Amino acid sequence: MRPLLEIARERLRRRRVVAVMSGKGGVGKSVVAALAALARPGSALVDLDLEGMSAPRLFGLSGRLHEVGKEGIEPLEAGGVKVFSLGGIVGDRYVVLPGYGQAGAVEALLAFAKLGDSDPVVVDMPPGMGEELLALGRVADFLPVLVATPSRASYGVVKHLAEYLAEMGKRPAAVVLNMAYVDCGGSRIYPFGRGEDARRLAESVGAPVHEAPIDPSLEDYVGRIHEYRGPVADVVRRMVEGL
Amino acid sequence: MHEWSLALSLVQTLDRWALERGVQIRRVVLSVPSPAQLDVSILTEAFDALKRESRLEGARLDVKVRSPRYRCRACGYEFGQEEVDAQIGRLMGQYGEEYPLHLIPELLPTFVKCPRCGSHDIEAELSIKVDEVETA
Ligand SMILES: Nc1ncnc2c1ncn2[C@@H]1O[C@H](COP(=O)(O)OP(=O)(O)O)[C@@H](O)[C@H]1O
Ligand SMILES: [Mg+2]
Ligand SMILES: [Zn+2]
Repeated sequence: MRPLLEIARERLRRRRVVAVMSGKGGVGKSVVAALAALARPGSALVDLDLEGMSAPRLFGLSGRLHEVGKEGIEPLEAGGVKVFSLGGIVGDRYVVLPGYGQAGAVEALLAFAKLGDSDPVVVDMPPGMGEELLALGRVADFLPVLVATPSRASYGVVKHLAEYLAEMGKRPAAVVLNMAYVDCGGSRIYPFGRGEDARRLAESVGAPVHEAPIDPSLEDYVGRIHEYRGPVADVVRRMVEGL
Repeated sequence: MHEWSLALSLVQTLDRWALERGVQIRRVVLSVPSPAQLDVSILTEAFDALKRESRLEGARLDVKVRSPRYRCRACGYEFGQEEVDAQIGRLMGQYGEEYPLHLIPELLPTFVKCPRCGSHDIEAELSIKVDEVETA
């Protein structure tokens, strides 16, 4: 028996687990996950991008270590969100892991995270469809939120992920079409096209599409994402409200 | 201190397991890999304190600390714990109380290199497992 796998399952059984994923890297998963957690007071954010560890960076928590007490891993807190990340275990250094190591890390993080009464638990997923995705599937019945950009390069990957999820009996709860347009004095410019493919995909699985603009000011909030109040946050809040 | 959260997870998991089967638990054998550096006496003390009023009330915890065998997937070299000990010692010195393998032993490849070729691509059985449960 794997006691950590069992306890991780038990801890997540009665909570909503919202997994922000894409298959593709650099499309805004971590930003969307952070803003989704911020949109709901009482959320937890679990960073399962084990090698990327973007979540602590977005919240300005890099280098801070989790305290580990008698009841598990104490969260790092920012903007009312409980953040859990491998970055809080290893500190400021690289993580390189074979699949079994990733599996162990996902299970242990979810088993020991002191979630308290956090609900929902938002999960920031890595790019790709590797061990973290399989491990999360072992532990929790998650609600997928897909992030894509209008680029065809992003679409192909997201499509494969959606097909895999469908085979697993999971339907994306929402599709965020991120970096879709630029707001130029009130009119929208779509530099990468309208993302028709991604829209059709969302429609075919019955998921609502939420279009988020490119907001250059977002960069100023890396390190204090909990203070960001711009248009991307508005879109993500509406997305979360619709879940 | 992590021994307590591990013991808590163990008691909660097994209590539910026993409840589902309508049994009491007499003995639990927990197998932990040595690089986790778990303190067996704290683990059993925590277990004994946490098992009260559960289906493990009369249970004894036996902790088996096992020395993993390692294999480098880059060069094929196979080696034992003794060839890893110096690296583990340095890691413990560096992190002190926050030694990461204490919490997640499976992180070992991030910190340990093959003694022959220097690769981090190391295979080993590093999980924390329940080997045996005796019920009544
Ligand atoms: N809507 C947006 N407008 C402007 N910049 C964005 C937007 N979404 C994401 N970014 C930026 O793009 C980069 C990648 O985002 P990130 O969330 O890390 O992607 P992922 O987690 O998918 O790899 C980051 O620098 C982030 O700040
Ligand atoms: Mg990311
Ligand atoms: Zn080697």
